[in-house]
Parts: sequence; C-alpha cells; structure tokens
Amino acid sequence: MRKQNRFAHLYLVLVFAVLYAPIFYLMYYSFNSGGTMHGFEGFTLDYYREVIQDTRLIIIVINTLVIALLSSSIATLIAIVGALAIQRIRSRRGKNSLLSLNNVLIVSPDVIIGASFLILFTIAGVKLGFVSVLLSHVAFSVPIAVLMILPHLQEMSPTLTDAARDLGASRRDVLTKVILPIIKPGIFSGFFMALTYSLDDFAVTFFVTGNGYSTLSVEIYSRARQGVSLSINALSTMIFLFTILLVVGYYFLTRRKSRPAAVSESVAEVGVPR
Amino acid sequence: MKQLVNTFLAIFIVAFALMYLGSWMNKSEGYSGGNTLTIYNWGDYIEPELLKEFQEETGITVIYQTFDSNEAMLTKVEQGGTTFDVVIPSDYAIAKMREEKLLLPLDHSKLSNLGNIDPRFMDLSFDPGNEFSVPYFWGTVGIIYNPGLTEGIDFSSWDSLWDSRLKNKILLVDGAREVMGMALNSLHYSVNDQNEQHLQQALSKLNTLSPNVKAIVGDEIKMLLANEEAAVGIVWSGDASEIMDENDKLDYVVPEEGSNKWFDNMVIPRTAANVEGAHQFINFMLRPDVAAKNADYVGYSSPNLPALALLPEETSGDTRFYPPAELTDRLEVYDNLGKKMLAHYNELFLKFKMHK
Repeated sequence: MRKQNRFAHLYLVLVFAVLYAPIFYLMYYSFNSGGTMHGFEGFTLDYYREVIQDTRLIIIVINTLVIALLSSSIATLIAIVGALAIQRIRSRRGKNSLLSLNNVLIVSPDVIIGASFLILFTIAGVKLGFVSVLLSHVAFSVPIAVLMILPHLQEMSPTLTDAARDLGASRRDVLTKVILPIIKPGIFSGFFMALTYSLDDFAVTFFVTGNGYSTLSVEIYSRARQGVSLSINALSTMIFLFTILLVVGYYFLTRRKSRPAAVSESVAEVGVPR
Repeated sequence: MKQLVNTFLAIFIVAFALMYLGSWMNKSEGYSGGNTLTIYNWGDYIEPELLKEFQEETGITVIYQTFDSNEAMLTKVEQGGTTFDVVIPSDYAIAKMREEKLLLPLDHSKLSNLGNIDPRFMDLSFDPGNEFSVPYFWGTVGIIYNPGLTEGIDFSSWDSLWDSRLKNKILLVDGAREVMGMALNSLHYSVNDQNEQHLQQALSKLNTLSPNVKAIVGDEIKMLLANEEAAVGIVWSGDASEIMDENDKLDYVVPEEGSNKWFDNMVIPRTAANVEGAHQFINFMLRPDVAAKNADYVGYSSPNLPALALLPEETSGDTRFYPPAELTDRLEVYDNLGKKMLAHYNELFLKFKMHK
C-alpha cells in the first residue's frame, strides 16, 4: 500500500516536471548574456531592461489585458442571459438543439472562426483594430461561459424559486436574490475561462488585428519569424510570475473565508433556514 | 448579487483605466494622429537602425509590420481594413495590385533621389515608367552547390542538374514559378511561356529530374543547405548569400540558358493614411548611404548605383550577386500570367510533386 503510494507520488512529480520544464528552461535563458537559447554564458538583466524600455511591447501587453478583461466580462453578462433563456425553454428538443449549437461553436476550429470574422468585418465595413478584436473575442467567449453557467442553473432546485415566489418575491427579486447568488460560482468560472481563452487566443486574433493594433500572441508570432529574442523570454517570465502571484493570492483569499460559510451564504441571503 | 455587481464594476474600472493608460502611452510615444507611418515588409528585410534614423530625422514614428509571402500581403491589403503606408511586394504582385487598382501613383517630384537607381532596373515590364513602384532590392534564381559533395560537376547549365551522379541530392524551393521556370529555361523557352506544348514538355522534363530531387522545401532550405544536408539547391540569390555567409564552402551560379530576375519594390497602397510620409520614407531609402547600410545588413543586391561604391569591394564586385549587364539582360522578369495561366502553372507543379 505504502509502496504504491510512493509510486503514485513519483508519477505525479514526473508529470509536473514535464509540464513545467519548458517554462523553467525559458526562464533560465532569459538571464543569458549570450543572446541565444543554447550555451549559458553569464547572468544579465539586459533583456528585462529591454522589455521595460520597449514601450510598444508594453502597450501591446496592456491591449491584451484590456481586451481580455472587457471581452470576458461582456461575454459573461451575455452568457448569463443566454443560460437563463436556455434553461427556460420547456421542450427538450428545443433545449438540446440550442445546446448543441452552443457546443458546435466551442469545438469548431479557431481558424475558421477567425476567417469568418474577417469576412464579416470586411463586408460590414468595420475597420480592423480594437473594435474588431473585442467583438470577436466576446463572440468566441460566450459559448464557453454559457457552458460554465448552465450546470449550476440545472443543479438549482426549482422549489427554491417557487418558494421565493410564494413568499411574495417579485420576478426581479427572484433573479437577483435567488438565482444569481446560487449560480455565482458558475459565473466566476465562466469569466475566468473566458479570460484565459482571450489572453492566449492566437488564431482568431491573427485574422482580425490590423492598423498597428496587436495583441501579445500575434506580436510574439510575428517576432518569432526572425528568431525569438530573449526579451520574449523575459516578458514571458514576468507574465508567468504575475500569474503565479495571482493564483497564490486567490488561494489565500479563499482560505480565509471558511468554505461552509461560502456555501450557506447564498441560502442565508434568501432567509431559508438550513 | 452585490458581490457580483461590485466585482464586474471593478473589472470594468480596471479595464478602462488600463485602456486610458494604453492610449496615453500611445500618444506620448507619438503612435497616433498623422505622425505615424505604417510599413509592411518581409520579415527581417530592413536594417532596424534605419527605422530609428528615419524617426530622428523626420519626427515620424514608424510602425513596422511584417509578412511572409506576397499572397498574405495581398490578402491584407485587398481586405482594406488596414492602412499601410508603404508596402514592399515583389514584381508580379505589383502587376496584380496595379491591375486591381490597389496602388497610389507616386509623385516623382517628391523623390529627389530616384536618379540613384540603376537605369537597368527602371521602367520594367511590371510597372512601365515606375508610375507606382521604386526598386528596393533585386536578385536572381540560380543554383547553389557544394563543390565538396558534387564531384566537380559544372553547374553553368541547368542541364547539369539531370546528371545521374546527383541522385537524391537536390533541394528545390517550393514555388511553382521558380521550378517551372527552371524547366522551361532548360528547354530554352521563356520563364513566361504560355504555349501548352512547351509547358507539357517542361513537365515531362521535370519528371525525369525526380530521382535527383531529395525534397521540395520552403524557407528551411537555407538551414538544410548550410548544414550540408543536401549538395545542391535551387534558390533565390538573396537566400544563397545568406547560406554562403553561414557556410563558405558553397558556391552560387546563374545558369547560362537564362533565369528569372526578381525585384522587390516599394509601393504606396491606395488605403495609405500618410502619403506625404510615405514619399519621405521612400526617398530616404533611396539615399546612397541608407541603401548601402541596408544592403550590408540584408545581403540582397541593391539597385542603387552610388550605394554600390559605398559597399565593400568584395560585395559589390561579386559577379554572382551583382552580375554584369550582359547576363542580366538575358534574365527575365516574371510576367503576371493572369489567374487562369497561374492556376495552370500551379497544377503542373502539383503534378510534378505528386510524381515525386
């Protein structure tokens, strides 16, 4: 038993080593004064300085963040409405076909979505740039957020809303005080999924960027054609550390709020004793 | 509910604050308004120092974007959603853009340095009178070979490629015009030949070449040849000079039957936002010192006569890359064959590839 346990641990360590090795490899060489990814010559912070001084790169990072934050929150708001609407449909067939349409959008290749958007924007006369990127990111994020929110809606017992209506809650109250608090975890997971999708999307964004407006994934791709400079390593390291900080911060935040309270909170808000 | 509203409000506030910061940085860097110039060029095809120099001299901020094929560039320019001020396509793409009215005519009075261009490279078939374009770099298509691996074969004729000693040793660049042109040249036809019988002859001659062909590859041909993975390659002269920089054992030759000479030219697309700045940039690139610096960095042949004098003698005197007029006169520029003929070329090339 013990032996088996140790084996499992070893396996886990191996898997994580494989997953993280490329990232650490990249981080290690971001300090290489030699300028290439082979042969470590000496320690330098030059590439970090280069990134900080490269205003255009920083503007692109900001663009990427703005697009990710805006598109995922807009998409989440749309997805809440969408999920509620799907949930309301009584006929099983109608519900299933809407859900399948939603899923088709998730599995369809990014390249095709990107090309279609390019054609659409061209016909509609939308100039490529901030607006086109934002619209397309919202569009491909909505189905993901819907998929995150729906299970929470389906889990919710219909008796809860019935009880709320019986106790004299208005339609609005039922929505804001019963339904939304219960599906809150779904909303947040939908938001974060959309956020990561938007941050690293390349294929769709590649088609709809233009006029000097660019996001990080597209910029790194076009720089990579001339060989990846170590300043990209430095930038990636900085972004990686920033993500780690966020995750650690989130971990401590959720640790402080004891879990049972978080679950009963929604129920407490409606005033149902538990 | 309150938490939800607050969180999303916070996210929106952060996003708008970032957006404001971004646009403020944009302005402070001069990336907005009429003070920018967007240049669309091949990857790694300009000395980066020159962009800074231009910026200092004129106060115009340059936004530099790159493409990796004429076709990709054409798609973006045709689409019209973007405003590029200066684009640097190849000859046949310029003919196509001119046909589709995608270009603005150049104002020659604003290009005082235009006289620096070698008259041999002015007024070419794809743009008579240089109404729309100014040469940037030029070159040839030829054979690069490794004397150590080819047993002293003389490559001054295309026919040498059919030598049985070269079995499985040749790399071809993946371009229908280049490979078909090579076959047509070896039969003493023009690279622009449209005669069906001649084309079929070229195809069957190509098919007999297949035992010697190791692979048909893209940009990785440079790496493969430099690492001596193959003995012979059909490449553009610019690639050849890059390969020879990495591995000086190799040599380059333009066969005597003739070949293609190509030009990359600066043009101003119709959608340009800063036409004045675009002229300034083109004129800047035509200055001898700038052209020489650029040619030194990129390694392709400069069409700028006074610039040649500024280049080291071993570069400008190298007849492999700066061939004398009697050779260049024999070389041909690709004509725009039209959609149908080009599709036919592609189809024949595909047939050859399948045969392979």
